[in-house]
Amino acid sequence: MADMIVHSKPVARRGLSAKHQEWLAGYIFILPDALGLLVFLGMPMVLSLVLGFFEVNGFGAYRFVGFGNYVRMYRDPLFWTALRATLLYAVVLVPSLYVCGLGLALLVQTTNRFNSVMRAMFFAPQMVSLVVVAVVWQFMVIDKIGLISRLMSMLGAGAVSFLGDPHFALLTIAFVSLWFLMGFYMLIFLGGLQDIPAEYYEAAKIDGAGPVARFWFITMPLLKPTSFFVIMVSMVAAVAGAQAFDIIYIMTKGGPANSTAVLIVYIYQQAFAFGAFGYAAAMASVLMLVTGLLFLFTRGGRFNYD
Amino acid sequence: MTDKSKKPGGLSRRILLQRGATFAAAGVAGGLTGFPFINKMAVRAQSAPLKFWQFYAPGGPVKTQIDWFDKTVSNWNDSHEQKIELEYIPTSEYVNGPKLATAFASGEGPDVFLISPGDFLRYYNGGVLQDLTPHIDDAAKADFPENVIANRMVDGKIYGLPMEVEPMAMYYSVKAFEEAGLNENDIPATWEQLLQLAKKLTTANRYGVLFETQPGYYQNFTWYPFLWQGGGEFQTEDGKSAFDSPATVQALKFWQDAVNSGVAPRQVMGTGANDTVANLAAGYVAMQNVGIWGISQLANNAKDFKYGVFKLPTPPNGKYVTVGGGWAFVANAKGKNPDAAAAFCAWALASADKGSVGRVVDWCTKGKSDMPPRKSALEAGKADFDQGMIGTFAKNIYPGIRAEPRLPPEVYKIISDAIQQTQLGGADPQATATAASQQLDAFLGSYSGAPIL
Repeated sequence: MADMIVHSKPVARRGLSAKHQEWLAGYIFILPDALGLLVFLGMPMVLSLVLGFFEVNGFGAYRFVGFGNYVRMYRDPLFWTALRATLLYAVVLVPSLYVCGLGLALLVQTTNRFNSVMRAMFFAPQMVSLVVVAVVWQFMVIDKIGLISRLMSMLGAGAVSFLGDPHFALLTIAFVSLWFLMGFYMLIFLGGLQDIPAEYYEAAKIDGAGPVARFWFITMPLLKPTSFFVIMVSMVAAVAGAQAFDIIYIMTKGGPANSTAVLIVYIYQQAFAFGAFGYAAAMASVLMLVTGLLFLFTRGGRFNYD
Repeated sequence: MTDKSKKPGGLSRRILLQRGATFAAAGVAGGLTGFPFINKMAVRAQSAPLKFWQFYAPGGPVKTQIDWFDKTVSNWNDSHEQKIELEYIPTSEYVNGPKLATAFASGEGPDVFLISPGDFLRYYNGGVLQDLTPHIDDAAKADFPENVIANRMVDGKIYGLPMEVEPMAMYYSVKAFEEAGLNENDIPATWEQLLQLAKKLTTANRYGVLFETQPGYYQNFTWYPFLWQGGGEFQTEDGKSAFDSPATVQALKFWQDAVNSGVAPRQVMGTGANDTVANLAAGYVAMQNVGIWGISQLANNAKDFKYGVFKLPTPPNGKYVTVGGGWAFVANAKGKNPDAAAAFCAWALASADKGSVGRVVDWCTKGKSDMPPRKSALEAGKADFDQGMIGTFAKNIYPGIRAEPRLPPEVYKIISDAIQQTQLGGADPQATATAASQQLDAFLGSYSGAPIL
């Protein structure tokens, strides 16, 4: 109490305390980015939420409809088809990305010349434009004459129409997404693996633990934070469908029979093909909510060692 | 105290705050562009050139088409005070992309642009199509055949001027025919014969026949003739759905049979089934359902490819009908100078003078391979329209033409889903037609725009 009285006046005169100065400096540093985020990300998000309560014809006419767009969504079978497709895509993609990303990282984790080449190779798809990826894969799996279609029939697997059959189209898209993304997750896992002290493995070896035991009892537990981050990021990416959009738009346009029309594609169609901007915004709000919930459940990928 | 409140740059806190607030306000206003509560001030500068958005010039892939647009606009600019400026939008952004939609939504639509009949109602009902009639004289008005201009008219007024008429037909590869021991005498007259022929032409590396498989406006457009040939329609005279009919079921089943029997692919090459070079000329298919523009595509990109053209076969007891598409010039009623924009459209394509007729002939013979939308142009370019492959179109295919219908986007989607579900999803054609018809009735009951044609 006495301390406070003694120090309070001089502090006010001298300006900010060291702690507050640091605090202020920090905020000034992030101010430009924060402003940018607010104007170009935050505001459009808020406006999009508001837009979801309007019926918009795409030519400047707006009519307030309250929850009309949400009622329409509830009754629209194509919205539910799109939601199902989105979930299926995420359910297929996320575990495969985890397994492939980790598998590749384990494969190339030691540093030698061969592994460096392999790392670069696995990461290479990331350097290619998604448009090119989609066009090349489209050509590889096209009916009858595509390289993979030919291989399949040579192996006696019969003619599969990867992108023309509603049973296979979304799986094919998920596969292409996996091929494109796994190099990125490999890199993240590599980072995680390198954080694990080599001594642990040496000690385990001395105790007689084999490679499988070392993987289960050392690698996996210590990789938890990385795993958690990978699952969270890939889940949000799969549900929001950012990468999927480009691939789908080029390879199938949402077809055949709406089988690849995931939510982000359906939102795009409603807004830009049909001019239903309000309805599209309402659906985007739902997508935003789902993605936000995922983010919350996974605590934004923050993970503490326990 | 005073010293400390100043920033290193010498700005006082108050000034900094003021400037910050101004900046933030500008950001807010910028972010709100096109939002309902803040209307942008209309900029009506008479002197600024009017923007003409299209997917040909300057920068398009085909020189003759770029030249035509360049020449048309520079001729106008030489003789008129209100200038026009061409703005090239790549097809991928224009036809299937968000470019126009976002431009109009934010009140920044072009002054002159191109639309196909499939998009007419969206723009008309949106209130952005300017009436072109006052700029077209009666003689020129009568020059457009009724079946060509009807889907661009509302209440007797013309809102779009077609630059071309594009009928659909079947193209075939002469080489594929020869390899299968077939010739011109084997050209099919019925759907049944077409599928049998396609079977003969199907090999391990090639499909017999191609119908569009990608969902979209274009797929619907190419399916319409098969619906009409059996007497099918979308609407009855009293505005109810007519979609649940034997003709619909038969047309849906025809495309389904083609895929299920393995003679037609589930996927297309290149940019889609309107691309003759990547599908027919490349040998992926032996026959392809495509429009008259295929002639100039092949002439430009597969010069040595030998092909023939025949009219669409018909179903049992059906009559021959094909669909005629084609893009039209339209003016933006909410643009900078709608009157001048409308005058330009009329001057370019619908004036009685020789230049206007010549432009139409040039576009349909030099720019592209199309039928002209004006009687006088057909007459003026008779020699060109009578010969070669265009001659075949003019003689055999064009006479069965019916204009591409204009349908609201909601109706397009119902039809698109019906085609996709049966063709590729394996759904029952009758059940699909019934369900689609119920959706159509629900929509038509509440529709209040220009007549659906």
